[in-house]
This record gives sequence, structure tokens and C-alpha cells, in this order.
Amino acid sequence: MLEVNNLNSGYGKLQILYDLSIEAPGKGITVIVGPNGAGKTTLLSTVMGVAKYMSGDILFEDMPIQGKLTHELAKKGISYVPQMGNVFAELSVMDNLSMAGYLMPKEESKIKADQMTEIFPVLKKFIHRDAGTLSGGERRMLAIAMGLMKNPKLMLLDELSTDLAPIIAEKVMMEIARLRDELGITILMVEQMAKRALEIGDTAYLMVSGEIRYSGKASDLLHEPELCSMYLGIKTDSDQIADLTKPSIEGSD
Amino acid sequence: MAPWMASGLIYSSGLALTAGSITLLYIVTRTFNFAVASMATFGFYIAYTGISLYGGLPYQYYPLVFIFGSFLGIVCYFGLNRHLLRRQAAEITLMMSTLGYDLLLLSFIQMYADFLTHTYGLFPRRVTLNVHDFELFGERAAAIILPIVTILLLTLLHFFLTRTRFGVAMRATIENPVLSGASGINSDLVYMVSWVIAGGMASVGGAFMAMAMTGTPTMGMFTIPLMFAGAILGGLTSLYGGILGGFMIGMTEYAGIFYLSQQLGPWVLGYRMGIPLMLMAATLLLFPRGLAGIPLAKLINSLVGKKRGESA
Amino acid sequence: MTNDNKSVKNQLDLKELFLKREVWVIFIILVLLTLLFNRSGVNILLTIFIDFAVFAIITMSLNLETGYTGIPQFGRVAAVIIGAFAVGAIPGRIIAMFMGLPYGAEYASDSVNFRLVPEINQLLASSWLISLGFLVFSLLIAAICGAGIGWLISRPAIRLKEGYLGISLLAFGDFFMWVGHNWKGMVGGSVPVSVPDPFRIFAGDRFMVIVLVIFVIAFLVFIYLQKLTRSPFGRSLRMIRDNDLSAGAAGKNIVSVRTQSLVIGSAIAALGGGLYVLYVGSMASIGFTKLTFTFWPWAFMMLGGIGSNLGVLLGVFLLTILRTMIVIFRSQWFGFLLTIGIDPLWLEFTLMGAVIIIVILFMPHGLVPEKVEPMLPKSRVKQIIERRQLARGESSTS
Ligand SMILES: Nc1ncnc2c1ncn2[C@@H]1O[C@H](COP(=O)(O)OP(=O)(O)O)[C@@H](O)[C@H]1O
Ligand SMILES: [Mg+2]
Repeated sequence: MLEVNNLNSGYGKLQILYDLSIEAPGKGITVIVGPNGAGKTTLLSTVMGVAKYMSGDILFEDMPIQGKLTHELAKKGISYVPQMGNVFAELSVMDNLSMAGYLMPKEESKIKADQMTEIFPVLKKFIHRDAGTLSGGERRMLAIAMGLMKNPKLMLLDELSTDLAPIIAEKVMMEIARLRDELGITILMVEQMAKRALEIGDTAYLMVSGEIRYSGKASDLLHEPELCSMYLGIKTDSDQIADLTKPSIEGSD
Repeated sequence: MAPWMASGLIYSSGLALTAGSITLLYIVTRTFNFAVASMATFGFYIAYTGISLYGGLPYQYYPLVFIFGSFLGIVCYFGLNRHLLRRQAAEITLMMSTLGYDLLLLSFIQMYADFLTHTYGLFPRRVTLNVHDFELFGERAAAIILPIVTILLLTLLHFFLTRTRFGVAMRATIENPVLSGASGINSDLVYMVSWVIAGGMASVGGAFMAMAMTGTPTMGMFTIPLMFAGAILGGLTSLYGGILGGFMIGMTEYAGIFYLSQQLGPWVLGYRMGIPLMLMAATLLLFPRGLAGIPLAKLINSLVGKKRGESA
Repeated sequence: MTNDNKSVKNQLDLKELFLKREVWVIFIILVLLTLLFNRSGVNILLTIFIDFAVFAIITMSLNLETGYTGIPQFGRVAAVIIGAFAVGAIPGRIIAMFMGLPYGAEYASDSVNFRLVPEINQLLASSWLISLGFLVFSLLIAAICGAGIGWLISRPAIRLKEGYLGISLLAFGDFFMWVGHNWKGMVGGSVPVSVPDPFRIFAGDRFMVIVLVIFVIAFLVFIYLQKLTRSPFGRSLRMIRDNDLSAGAAGKNIVSVRTQSLVIGSAIAALGGGLYVLYVGSMASIGFTKLTFTFWPWAFMMLGGIGSNLGVLLGVFLLTILRTMIVIFRSQWFGFLLTIGIDPLWLEFTLMGAVIIIVILFMPHGLVPEKVEPMLPKSRVKQIIERRQLARGESSTS
């Protein structure tokens, strides 16, 4: 679905990613974990045409997309929920949702927005308030709702669970798994809640200082105690984890 | 209405539109548009050409003026601004590029004035457009019509920005270009539309101002500091602030100079433009972010006892 | 390693290219000068030289503020006009005072002025000591007034950022321009007023001597600015330009450094304005517009290369020649415009606008790009890079 080969990118003259390659197979969840400042956000935003692309290939459905403008990628069916600035603070919640449905016909966008307010009742309560006045958790939910509005083929999610109460974070994780299982959406997510994300994920990458340190099955990363404790702050006995992880999902297209 | 007040209203309406135009472009594209100067002058010359060749009232040419201004805006966007925005050029580079465009336009204006003189035997270098005005309720019609047109345009714009999908998309892009791109909003289109609107506003503003002052090929170049002063006074963060700032600059100039010339004698007339600039300098000293830096909303809300974010 | 070598080689190639480009520009300048000389004789060359030298001084001052310090000085005309005023108003009055002639506001009224100045000129022509004293004093007073205005303007403006600052400077520049156009008592307002001529003593060679003097002064300014921008002060300027946050963190007092740059720049610009008035022999404030004394210098600087003094000189020279050529060849080359009544002189603005646009779009660093002088010696930088790459290689193989 999404393939990144030997990507070099960064900001201005500053290079952050060096010859980075990852692959997000279709209809699966690919998790990227790694310490702060590793360049995870940079990777997603380069894919989305925001950070500065320098060289390498980015393929979406086997078509090169590097150098394309952000809105063109959105039209191709890639939805992106950025880590920061993921809602329009000066627009009302309603306008935020309608902007998320900008590419759809107006009626469809309305129906979708109604669905979202049903999934996240909080949003219904504050529908006329400016998004900037929402709490951190409420904002995050609005951001997710906006990402979901778009009927995407591929979703890029950057640290969705940050700022959320544990119960809600868990709900969000379940929702993401449901997106894959029921709607067949391909998901590439960056997550701080590494353990939970690796549990629901199919493929995983561990990224450190702009380079990939591990790639393989998500469940297997949890069996690398050294990497886990060094970079992810997960301290577990590997046998215990084996019980927790789901059976792995079959390969991709 | 006292004569200074009538002229002041006309002039201030024009200044309000040009300052609004500057503000709009700045908040959308980060570009301080120098070319408002020549766009305004061109606006005046379109109205002048219309009246001189086909007769009628200045007002009937305003739609044409707006269209021409929009055209100038589009040319600047596609020829210059777009490439620089893509390159993420610095604010100063953006500003300089519009200065280059302004100088090109200025040379075309001068040539056009020569052309009018030569071909139609007109005298386009010192024009008093207000001789073509009529009287309304015993006042100069422009003093009533132009403020109303300004308010009308502003209302229209407000409606566009808050009620239409594309208008909201424009506001979304202003606030967060990345997210709006990810929502599928074409920022190119947003920037282009803002150049269309801003170009039109600048030209109409120039045509307005020429109803109160002598129209010359350098009238825009002459008044550009005041247009900027209006935008700065307005704080450069909201379109309405810009329009209000421009209007205030214009009115202070007329009221201030009227008062001072009565107190000190007519010699002060030469320094009239000093007054609005003092106002700007004082504002900048007190509030480096212009009127928007005054926590007006907070003040009012605290008076009314309203919480931030609750919409009316 | 091979990569590293390649980039070093690339740099060398580029350097050669720049060198070639400079040589190239100088070659074009010489060809054009010969062309003009053949057509219009030596006087046109002298005019070009004077224009070049005056604008070189002004543009170098702009380059100090804008190129090195990052202040968008859109109000250059203010300091220039103050310098012109100072020379037009003060030294002549002082001599008039000593000679027992009227020196109040009436000095500047044209009916008095046109009788006064020839008398002063006679005195100047009689003694080279007085002439020299007059010249030096004029320039000194111009520079001092310029520095004063630079400081005054910096007060409300200096804390502002980028565009805000540029616009405020533009507005203040215009304000002083209006004061100049209106203040009759000072130097006649919009009515041109004669200025005593310290070069009168050279009679027929006046023109030559002026060219020489202005050239020498321009050269001194060039040397001074080269020294200044390479001193520690120059380094703080560039540091503030490139990143005022880190400069602030490094303990640089940003406001004070920027103010100093504005003051020095304005003093130099005023010197240029003063020299220009002495050369013309009269002070007509109407001639001091932002088009000529703000926007042209910007075009010169951008063509030459922002932040490069040598580039600025080449930019001024090339464009001054092109400007003059429009004037000289206007009916020959642009006759088609004349047939529909259009004066080809307006093409000067077209040229100015086109230069600015073309430079921004296609050669943002100008003819002679600023040479970035590294804070560390080259060999040391290379060492560090090598060490880093080694470390990277090791870590990725492990
Ligand atoms: N807009 C930016 N400009 C310059 N550097 C940035 C920018 N955003 C992030 N960086 C730098 O890029 C590196 C990687 O950041 P990021 O991709 O946000 O890491 P992560 O998401 O893994 O925490 C960091 O060193 C950060 O300082
Ligand atoms: Mg991140």
C-alpha cells in the first residue's frame, strides 16, 4: 500500500531522516515506535508532503507520490492526523468537521459529521464552540473524528493517544483495530503507548535517530527485551507478552 | 456635514479598503503587498478613463475597477507570489517582490497617462474626480455612498468567510495550512482567491480616495505609508481590524489637520501626513502588535462577565 | 569519504564560477562604458562615475543595515535627505553669519539666497583652506545629522520584526521626506535653493575634482565597511541577522547592536546625500524621493548580492550605466513608444521593477553571493565532519 525506500528528508538544510525504508502493507496496522526526536513525525509529514523531501521513493498503491502537494495526497485517499495542530482552533467544532469533509459532497459530509458526533458524544455537546476552547482530550477526539470523516484508504496517525485518559486511549486503540478489521483501512501509526500499539499492530518499526533499528512483526518486537527496555521503556518478561499478543494477521497484498 | 468631514469620510473609506487589502493578503500569504499602491492608482485610472471616454458617474465603473484590480492581483500571484510561497521565501523577500511588481505597474501607469494625453487629448496627471459627483440630501453623494459601499463590501466578505464552505476553508488555511492541505483544501486556490479579493479591494479603494484627493500617477506611491499605517494600526491579524485601522488613520488625518490648521495656521497643511504616522508610531510604541495587541475582547468580556470562546 | 571529496571539489568549482562571474560583470561594464564614451564623450563617463560613487555610498550603507544586520531598511531616503539638508542649511549659514549676511529663515528664501550664495562662493574661491574646511565641515555635519536621525527612527522601530519594521521604516522615511518638502525656513521646502560650492576654486577642473573626491570617499567607506563587517561587531551583526534567538542566548544585546548598525548606516547614507548636494550645487528637496533614494539602492543591492560589499559596487555600476543608457538612447531604441506619445524615460521604473523581480526569482543571491565565512577554520570543520561520518558508518554496520 505505502512503500518508502531510501528516503532522505528534513527541514530546510537540516536532514533528519537518512536512507529510511519502511513498508505499510494494505489492510494492516503498521506501528512506528521510538524515542522522542527519532524523526517519526518527520517521516509521516514527509509522506504527506509537508516536511522537505530530499531524495528516495515514496510509493502509494505502487505510484510514486513524492513531491506531490498535501491536498493532492488527500484527494488520493490518504488521511493524516498530525501530532500537533490537528484541529482548527479558530473554527467551531462543526466547521472543523465540515472542513474535514471538504472533498465530499455537502450532504455526505453532513451525514458523516453526524456519525462522528454519535461516536464521540462530547463533540455534539460542544458543536458550536471554537475548537481552541476544548480540553486536550476533547481536541484529540475531534482530530480523530476529522481523520475518520474522510473515508480514507490509508490513515497516517501521529500519537493519537497522547493527552487522552487511559480509558479513552484504550477506546481509541480498539477503534483503530476496528477500522482495520471492519473497513479494511490501512493504518500507519506512530504511538507513544508502545505496548498497546504493538499488541494491536501487525508490522512494527523501531526508529532511533532517523534510522530503523528493528523491523518485523509487531508482536515480535515485544520479545526483544533489550530494545524494549532501552528505547520503549517496556520492562516485561517475554513469556508473559506471548500470551497478551494476538495471533499475527496474514500478510499483505 | 462640514467639508473636512465629507472629504474625510470619502478618503477614509478608500484607505479602509486598501488597508483591509493589505491585511487580508498578509494574514493569508504573509506578504506585505507593496503593489496596493499601484493597484489603487490603476483603480483610479480605470474610473477616470471610463468617465472621460464614456461619461456617467464614477460609481458605475466600480465593478470594472474591482475586476481590473483582481486581474492585477492574479498576475502577481501567478507570476511571483506563488513561486515564492512554494519556496517558503522569507517575509522580506515576499515584500520586495511586490515592490518590484509595484514599480513595473508604476511605469505602466505613467506610460498609460502619456498614452491618454497623446491619443485622447486628456489631462490625466492632475485629476479631480469629484467634479463628476452629484448631491444627495444636500451633501456630496460620495460622502454617503462610499462609506455605505465599504460597509456593504465588508458585510459581503464577512458572509463569505463565515457562511460559505470555501470561505471557511480560507480561514482554515490561514490558521493551519498543513491541516487544511490534509483535508484536501487546495491552498493554491485559497491564495489565488485572496489575491483576487485583495486586488479588487485595493483598486476600488484607490478609486474611492481619488474622490477626495487629486488623482495623479503617483497617488498610490504617495499614500502607501498611510495604507500600511492603517493595516499596522489594525494589528494585521484580522481583516476587520485592518479596515477599521485604515478608516481611523484617514479620519485622524482629516480631523487632526482641520483642528491644527485652525489653531496654528494653514502652514501645517503640508505636514498632514505626519499626524496619522504619529498615531502609528505611538501605537507601535505602546502596543507593538497594533490595536490587536490591546486585549479589547478580554476587557469587554470581563466587563460582561462572559467566558472566552462562548459564541454569541 | 568520496562523497566528502566530491563536495569539496564542487565548492571549488562554484568558487571559480563566482570568480568568473565577477570578471564577466566587469567586462560587460567596460564594454558598455566604451560604447557610451564613443557616443557621447568623456562627460557622460564622469556623470556615470559620480552617480556611481554617490549611490555606491548610499547602497553600501543600505547593505550594512539590510545585508549584514537584516533590518529591512525601506526608509533609506530619510537619512539621505537629512544629510542633504544639513549640507544645504548649516555650513552656508555659518559662513553667512561670519560674513555679516542674513542667516535666519530668510537665508533659505530664494530671493535672498540667490544673492547670498554667490558672495559666499567668492569667499570660498579665494582660499583653499576655507574651501577645504567648508567641505570637511559639511560632510561632518551631514554624518552627524544622519546618525541622529538613524537613532531617532530606531526608537519606535527597532523592536519590531521583519515586515513590521520594514513598513515602519518606510513610513518614517516618507515622513522626513514630507518635512523636507514643506519646511521652507530650512532649505526652501519645495523651492530649489543654491548651496555654496567648495569646489569653485578649481574652476574648469571642478567636475574632475568632484569625481575624484567622491570616489575617494566612496573608497574609504568601502574599506571602512569591509573592516567593520569583518570585525567582531560584524560577526554579531550577522549572527543577529541569521538567528536572533541564538544571538540573544549568546549574550548579544540585539537591540543595541541593531541600533548601532542603523546609526552607522544612516550616517553613511547622509554623507552620500550631502555629497550629492555639493555636487549638484543646489538643494531641491523635490528631487529626493523614495524611488530614487530607497528603491533604486534596493535594486542595486539585490542585483549585486545582499551582504556582499563588492557585489553591491558592481550592482550599482552596472545599473547606473543601464539607467544612463535608457536616457541616452531613448529616441534611438524606443522610438516606437514616442510615436504613441509615451516618454521612454518611464522605462527606468520598468528596469528597476524588472531587476528586482528577476533577481528574486532567478538569482536570489545576486551577482556576487555573500561569501559565508565560517566561525571555525576550514580544516577543523573538515575534521569534525569526517569524524562524524566515521561514527555514523560504524553505528549503522553494527
Ligand atoms: N519544523 C522543524 N524544523 C526543524 N527541525 C525540526 C522540526 N520539527 C522537528 N524537528 C527536529 O527533527 C527531529 C525529529 O523530530 P520529530 O520528527 O518530531 O521526532 P519524533 O516525532 O520522533 O519525536 C528533532 O530533532 C526535532 O528537533
Ligand atoms: Mg512526534
